[in-house]
Amino acid sequence: MNEPNLNPDPDAMLDGLFARARVQRPDTTAAEYAFETRLMARLREKRLQDSESIWATVSWRLAPIFAACVIGLVVWHSEVVNELEAAEQLVYVANPNTFERWNGLD
Amino acid sequence: MLGYPNAMVTAESSIPDEQLVAATLGGDEAAFGELAQRYKSRVFGVASRFARDAAELEDICQDVFVQVYFKLRQFRRDSPFEHWVLRITTYKCYDYLRKRRRDKSGISVDALLESGYEPSAPESPPAHPDLERLYAALAQLSPKERLVITLLELEERSVQEIAGLTGWSVANVKVRAFRARAALRKLLESKK
Repeated sequence: MNEPNLNPDPDAMLDGLFARARVQRPDTTAAEYAFETRLMARLREKRLQDSESIWATVSWRLAPIFAACVIGLVVWHSEVVNELEAAEQLVYVANPNTFERWNGLD
Repeated sequence: MLGYPNAMVTAESSIPDEQLVAATLGGDEAAFGELAQRYKSRVFGVASRFARDAAELEDICQDVFVQVYFKLRQFRRDSPFEHWVLRITTYKCYDYLRKRRRDKSGISVDALLESGYEPSAPESPPAHPDLERLYAALAQLSPKERLVITLLELEERSVQEIAGLTGWSVANVKVRAFRARAALRKLLESKK
């Protein structure tokens, strides 16, 4: 005598589950309520954040330029100081009395 | 052509999508609100198949429309606006599946169910125990497998439609669907 089939075709079982799941679609009516309002609020917030982040990005991108300017100023300043010191030494060598007079050492 | 149950909604509305898109690009917020209202049901419908709960569903849908808004200039008018929105929805759902996978790797179907895992939005009617097992098994699949089997079997999209939505080749979709089905069968048989 044939035994009843206790292990049905797994593909058929899966198809049956899919069919049942298709029918039982989640109800999203409550979730959809006033969705546009929430979305618009988020968009406004995001636009504000984006405009702030643009300034932050621009600032960071300009940072190397500012750093280069500072380095250039430091180098220029040290060169000017060196030239002044050299000029002072020349003046001193040429005429020590004048130099001392300038400095009030006389 | 994608076959959606409410495809005629666009035709019934007085203002065509293209006009609303142009108005949005011109800075008209209300026009985008109209577009969101027009397509939210379809986006919620697809996303609800992937979201764990109402909060995640809201997050996915908001992310979809935020992306739609900020990428609107990239919308090429060679296909309907609806297709473009649904493609973004599919990508977003896939992103959420991948994120979730990273958080929950290596948890069994039984452990998921015992931990109080909710396979679908809480607003949905209580699922049959067999369906709960199906959803829990679906949650065990890889994001790609879950995406393809959900679109194919639950959303009843054709292989060509899925290829269009995901950007995968038709052959790739078929292979992934076959593997997903086999994995699902194995998971469900092992938990009988």
